[in-house]
Amino acid sequence: MHGHDPDADTDGGSRTVGVLDPERAAQAEDLEDGSWQTVVWNDPVNLMSYVEHVFRTYFGFSRARAHQLMQQVHEQGRAVVSRGSRERAESDVQAMHSYGLRATLERTEEG
Amino acid sequence: MAHAFRPRPGGDIACRLDGEEKAIISQVAQEVAELIRHDLDLREEPGAVRAAAGSDDPLERLEAEFAQSSVRAPRDSAVRRLFPDASTDAAVAEELRRLGQQDLATEKIEDLTHLVRALDGSGPGDGEVTVPADDIASWLRAMNDVRIVLADRLHITQDGDFETLRMLQQIGERVEDAPPLDDEDGVAGADVVAAVYELLTWLQESLLRAIDEY
Repeated sequence: MHGHDPDADTDGGSRTVGVLDPERAAQAEDLEDGSWQTVVWNDPVNLMSYVEHVFRTYFGFSRARAHQLMQQVHEQGRAVVSRGSRERAESDVQAMHSYGLRATLERTEEG
Repeated sequence: MAHAFRPRPGGDIACRLDGEEKAIISQVAQEVAELIRHDLDLREEPGAVRAAAGSDDPLERLEAEFAQSSVRAPRDSAVRRLFPDASTDAAVAEELRRLGQQDLATEKIEDLTHLVRALDGSGPGDGEVTVPADDIASWLRAMNDVRIVLADRLHITQDGDFETLRMLQQIGERVEDAPPLDDEDGVAGADVVAAVYELLTWLQESLLRAIDEY
């Protein structure tokens, strides 16, 4: 499933950098640069049920988690929906735009 | 008169629409695709550019590269909403637009074309429109993009704006000799746009409810 939970552990400490497998090495690099996040912003057009559906299907969030994030967007105007490398944030933002959700990427505060 | 989406065996869903409803949704979806093409200056079919980017001919690849590097930022307010800045930092937003806008436009136009074909292919007059399971995501995106454009034309910028607009229209209908809400240049009046927006909102909600029953 594409995407991951922002609360999930992303330090990748248990992973080793592959020497003979470039894909594996690239993954490890990704995890080191985990200082970006994807933000979804509130707007008056997208249905709450639709936003929740997008969060569930794209990020693979549970119903409860998707609902909670949707509520956060609706009530606080924005919510962080993913964290990771810049590349990950770029593709998540692009995906949100394909669904018609307003999204931006930004550096995480602690990053 | 529209009937809500219902699940069908095998993961498909179906709704019932009358001829007029099919025609107006199809027309508006075509107009949205045309608006995107025109506003982003997509002279070439975006799919053709993408195919050229993977071509064996170096000249074709160069042309495709040029087509992608000369990405134009949206000027129309509705298109800007469909292709929003990916960052609050203007330089980052510009870079990401150059990298991603062409693909995004291709996807959106494909979704819209898909919706138009399905509606037009369901035959004239009142009838059932079946959406195969594999097409549901595309339908959702296309309906949502159409709603976004209509909402822009209705100046819906905050939560609750549509409800206010509907209320004002209903008051207007009750006032005798109220001026019609048509635009000067003869395009569909705000009341027609609002009616299509309302129909699509209801239809999208019913689709989401239908797939939630699985």
